[in-house]
Amino acid sequence: MHRLMRLHRWLAQRAEDILALLLLSMFVTFILQIVFRYLLNLPIGWTVEWVSIAWLWGILFGYAFVVKETEVIRLDVLYSAVPVGMRRVFDVLSGATIAVVFAWTLPATWEFVDFMKIERTAYMRIPFNIVFAVYIPFAIAVILRSLMTAWAGLTGRGSQFDKAVSPETHEYD
Amino acid sequence: MTDPFNLAMILIVALSLMGSSVGISMIAGSMLYLLLKGFDPSLAAETLLQGLFSGYTLLAIPLFILAADIMNVGSLADKLLRFSQALVGRFRGGLGHVNVVSSLIFSGMSGSAVADAVGMGKIIINMMTKDGKYTPSYAAAITAATATVGPIIPPSIPMVLYALVSDQSVGYLFAAGLLPGLLMALAMAVMNYAIARKRNFPVDDVVPMRDLPGITWHALPALMLPVILLGGIYGGVMTPTEAAAVAALYALVISVVLYRSVNARDLYTALLGSARSTATVGVLVAGAITFNYVITRENIPNAIADYLTQFEFSKIGFLLAINALILALGMVLEGGAILLIIVPILIPTVQSMGIDLVHFGVIAVVNAMLGLITPPYGLLLFIVNSITGASMGAIIKDILPFILALVIALGIITFVPDFVLFLPRLLGYQG
Repeated sequence: MHRLMRLHRWLAQRAEDILALLLLSMFVTFILQIVFRYLLNLPIGWTVEWVSIAWLWGILFGYAFVVKETEVIRLDVLYSAVPVGMRRVFDVLSGATIAVVFAWTLPATWEFVDFMKIERTAYMRIPFNIVFAVYIPFAIAVILRSLMTAWAGLTGRGSQFDKAVSPETHEYD
Repeated sequence: MTDPFNLAMILIVALSLMGSSVGISMIAGSMLYLLLKGFDPSLAAETLLQGLFSGYTLLAIPLFILAADIMNVGSLADKLLRFSQALVGRFRGGLGHVNVVSSLIFSGMSGSAVADAVGMGKIIINMMTKDGKYTPSYAAAITAATATVGPIIPPSIPMVLYALVSDQSVGYLFAAGLLPGLLMALAMAVMNYAIARKRNFPVDDVVPMRDLPGITWHALPALMLPVILLGGIYGGVMTPTEAAAVAALYALVISVVLYRSVNARDLYTALLGSARSTATVGVLVAGAITFNYVITRENIPNAIADYLTQFEFSKIGFLLAINALILALGMVLEGGAILLIIVPILIPTVQSMGIDLVHFGVIAVVNAMLGLITPPYGLLLFIVNSITGASMGAIIKDILPFILALVIALGIITFVPDFVLFLPRLLGYQG
């Protein structure tokens, strides 16, 4: 059990590294794009493609493996106003519903992602099934996390009820 | 009632109210709609993936967040505060004015009100309260209020979100925010002055005039950032998205080379923090893009436009109603959600009323920012509350006059379109 926890922490940190790296690559690519276009007068096309991929992957990968429950953008007006028993009911209902809906659409989505191998990006010639593949772990993570929320609601265990607002993650406002 | 669209709406509202992620709720609602309609359920994922992949303008968001994070870990905020203090600290209510001015300058570099309150806010609240000159609740209130200027003065992340849903130029939207932002700052400075006289706040230590050139010199690299940013965008040298990358690079270079205040560890923290924020808001954007497909398919915005035009609102009546609506929603929803979910539904109506979409963008964003400081759900209130530890009740009482000042500014912004559109027109906007 102890070992498992350690492995989990190690994986979580590597996921953070990857996420930070994605943003760094996006940042560096943008600078390259500006240097090539305006200073060297040599516009390059792959930069736009790479930053778009990094942005897509950063969001879906980050949400699946790095963003914590407490950081998620939610409306807690009602949730924080009701007693704990009611919150558990909410968690079970919402968790189960989201898991079912995402799971229901997963097979068709898998087919769509796989089908996209026939198209490639314009410059880097990356098949779109690879670009879009990140959706699958994202959807699976959403399903698993929703099930965990529902489970925590059923058993009354876990830190799921602590959904306090954490302002530092709202830097876009 | 059993129409697929209604059921999808009910699901989204129910899931959101039960405390699920708003973005995920919107995706789930869109999926339910597709399933009930018998459409291919993979359309939700397809819309989401294609939408994010081709949303080039949106890439400004992670970069502006990164720029602000780097400025916050570096000592840029510190230098700016000393400069503002030397400049306006000599007047009554001095540190209050310092708060206004430093927010104003900082907002020319960051696109976010929250980044402003978290970074600059911590330092200035400390300065204001350390000798007991100002009550913690007043320091908290004015910090939260002045932070709202951040996304009105360019650059601005909320304006980028609005550009996405309204199909307007980010450049013109940024330009349109400049004068309204200055007006809001002025309104708050006047209010601070009046309160300082009434409550007889002490005059702060005056920085001698002869120190001013030195302090300005130290702050100059930081002060140059807005100039480079706006000059780059309006000089036609770069797109707003590229300008965001340049802002981050510039902040990094001066923090590392000039002020020597950022090391590799800090940079990693800034990168990871920004990437986390990006993923969090990105899922909301993804949800909005996905649900927008449903809304468009059902032709909802036009139906609402048809419905609303029945009432034969006058332009002024309509604008008043819109302001009231967004302000009320701002009390319970956060800014990004309003801009991504509510505003796009209203846009066809706004167009049919003959209201300029750039003008409307500024109105919507100012309203959304006011929502950040209106109780009960005001994100900035939570932030300054956690920084100062002052009671929420006391902060709300102290922030009311500033809300009043901002509402007056909002009135001018709403009813004098020429004031808002003056700069964009100067830059070639046809509207």
